[in-house]
Amino acid sequence: MKPYFHRTTSAAPLALFRIAFGLMLFGSIVRFWSKGWISELYINPRFFFPFYGFEFVKPLGHNTYVVFAICGLSALLVAVGLFYRLAITSLFLSFTYIELIDKSTYLNHYYFTSMICLLLIVLPAHAYFSVDAYRNRTLLSDQVPAWCVDSLRLFVSILYVYAGLAKLNSDWLLHAQPLRIWLPAHNDLPILGFLFNYSWIPYAFSWFGCLYDLSIPFLLWNRRTRPWAYAAVVGFHGLTALLFPIGMFPYIMIVTALIFFSDDFHITVLRRIGSWLQMPAHFLRPHRSFTYQPIAGQTIRSLLAIFFVIQFLFPFRYLLYPGELFWTEQGYRFSWRVMLMEKAGYAQFTVSDDRGNRTIVNNTEFLTPLQEKMMSTQPDMLLQYAHMLRDYYAQHGFHDPHVYVDSYVALNGRLGKPLVDSTIDLAREQDTFAPKSWITSLDDKIYGF
Amino acid sequence: MRQFSWRKIGTIGAIVLAIWACSTSGDTDSPTPTPPTDQAGADRKAMLTNIADNIILPSYANFKGKLDAMLTKADAFTAKPDKTTLADFRQAWIDAYTEWQKVELFDVGPGEKHTIRNFFNIYPTNVTGIEDYIAAGSGTFETPLSYSRQGFPALDYLLNGLGTTDDAILARYTTATDAAKRIAYLKRLTGQMNTIFTAVYGEWTGGYRDTFINCTSLDAGCSTSKLVNGYVLHYERYIRSGKIGIPSGAMTNGTANPETIESLYKKDLSLTLAKVAHQAVVDFFNGKSVKTGQEGPGLKTYLNSLGAKDSRTGSSLSDIINQQFTTSANQLNALKPVLYDDIKTNNTAVVQVYNEMQKAVRMLKVDMTTAMSITITYTDNDGD
Repeated sequence: MKPYFHRTTSAAPLALFRIAFGLMLFGSIVRFWSKGWISELYINPRFFFPFYGFEFVKPLGHNTYVVFAICGLSALLVAVGLFYRLAITSLFLSFTYIELIDKSTYLNHYYFTSMICLLLIVLPAHAYFSVDAYRNRTLLSDQVPAWCVDSLRLFVSILYVYAGLAKLNSDWLLHAQPLRIWLPAHNDLPILGFLFNYSWIPYAFSWFGCLYDLSIPFLLWNRRTRPWAYAAVVGFHGLTALLFPIGMFPYIMIVTALIFFSDDFHITVLRRIGSWLQMPAHFLRPHRSFTYQPIAGQTIRSLLAIFFVIQFLFPFRYLLYPGELFWTEQGYRFSWRVMLMEKAGYAQFTVSDDRGNRTIVNNTEFLTPLQEKMMSTQPDMLLQYAHMLRDYYAQHGFHDPHVYVDSYVALNGRLGKPLVDSTIDLAREQDTFAPKSWITSLDDKIYGF
Repeated sequence: MRQFSWRKIGTIGAIVLAIWACSTSGDTDSPTPTPPTDQAGADRKAMLTNIADNIILPSYANFKGKLDAMLTKADAFTAKPDKTTLADFRQAWIDAYTEWQKVELFDVGPGEKHTIRNFFNIYPTNVTGIEDYIAAGSGTFETPLSYSRQGFPALDYLLNGLGTTDDAILARYTTATDAAKRIAYLKRLTGQMNTIFTAVYGEWTGGYRDTFINCTSLDAGCSTSKLVNGYVLHYERYIRSGKIGIPSGAMTNGTANPETIESLYKKDLSLTLAKVAHQAVVDFFNGKSVKTGQEGPGLKTYLNSLGAKDSRTGSSLSDIINQQFTTSANQLNALKPVLYDDIKTNNTAVVQVYNEMQKAVRMLKVDMTTAMSITITYTDNDGD
């Protein structure tokens, strides 16, 4: 038996994944564009919420359309495998840039997409069934190192398992929150709807969802359980698509899970497409193995090791912060915490100075409804917004303004309470990785991860 | 084996898709199983039906009665302006304005489509604008700028604000050089109110009621979400801010601004209007029938069926909201009859009303909507 890093496997899973991923991303970009979200989310807003450390990412005004066009074109090029390295790199950069413009549009599956793009930059997804391979026969291979395909599988597994771990908490398992709030909202659905009036249903959904996330990668990886696991993937994500406004996420996961299927499955699919397109046999069966240059291979494996160490550790950074994670959201993002909270809030800012100026801020003057909704429940955004207000009013007649917030936030069915100490002048507080002492305590304990 | 798994996957996928397709087909003829009894309050169709048939429609019918009566008195006054017809018109105006407070909160369906509030109750009224329109003998009533030149606040000015005595006011309609133009303006004003309300009421009685009760989803475009959004907005912006917060200065830099109260020229009416509007909001929350006074399915029963409560004390959210309503109402009742004077001499008490109402706003806007899984879609523009 060869050592793991010398083992090869069919290139078909990687190639089919590249095609499906590229097409799906292209579809998402078209969908995003056609819904008018580019201007609504990235051009019209007056203020943006950059990520900590990425403040250099600026909104681009109407050039945002150019970035989206580059992103869409890159996705298509990735799908067909033309100028692959360039295309996947520009896809990663353009997509990530867009997502970094404004925190209020943060979604876990955008982060997932970015990270998959990053992985694909170093993987030979264009070695088989691509235009590049068609034009360059020294690239064309139907075998790739096994770790190339496995690293994608590993990443998807991390997503599921961490999403499952995050559900191991008392709100989710013992109180069926937030599904207890979300499911009755659908009690008028035909056929299924009446179920959502039963109080045990949210518990059933919660427990099933948790077990699903924790076990699905292993069930997909195992050949015997795979067909049933995939049916569960389709059923589970289909149901979430039906019940919750989560856009493309379910479809991305349904397609992504195909990466776990056997080599034979992918070979069959690609050969059928190939024979339908009347591709030459030597293109479909080159009988050749893709190999990295030794140094390149070594470097890439080291980079992947670093990547996965970070992926393993990063979601646990919340342990370094005091207070309740769901309340303070310190270390909440980029951790595969999906659909865990029903959080709603209200934030009324008062700006004043020592010369008798005082005003209550009209949030709609500065923020879109989406931004206001996100800002009112997330402490780091509250602070960013307070700083925007400080700078704005400093330029509009206020001398060294103070900014206070009267906030009120409800989390997972708890009664609302202030999220921020209303006596703290947020204009004087800095955003850092250090714990934010001005966040109030939830005064309740959520047990578990 | 390969072929086998492939086929198996296909079959399973097809079954799942079939189930999914059936469940999304929107087949309304299928028999709906009876929900468990303790969850009956979660039936949104029953709630919407009660709200439409026992609250919104009868409230509109009551308002129509008062509005029609006012229009009759307006005709009598414009035909023959004298002390009697003026007194009659004023009383009918008071009755209609008071009744209006019980329908302004229905910002859903035809009311929302026609933006009826804009044509009935935007204040402070624009005296200069009104006089411009009177002098010109024309002017549109359809633009946002014109909203403050019409409706009940404009009538307030024209009935109560033209002079310090009744004789002085009557003179503006009889002997003044622009008397005819002023009378013509009154006619246009009341005609406009009639047109807008007739359109809204006509749509409600002409089929919208069925649309309303059958749009049971909680999506932003459907009845419950629109109703709740309009309701919370009404309480926040038009009761808390409009009637109390802005005049008392609680919303701005603390400087009282009594000239911005509702019914500025009939100063002993402002507080009554605020109380009636507040009570209408409370009754609506409790699903109280306008016809019988009995409580039926409404926001309260819906919240109860969802089990929304304070987990520490066990008290239900609906009780907590009702307690806060009571506290606000008590503060309101503690004010002296003339709100204008209170703002000038006893503003702390008025600001106190605002503070209590603000607590209710948070409960409605955050606690209630989050428990119902309704998204607040309106954008508040407090502080303008």
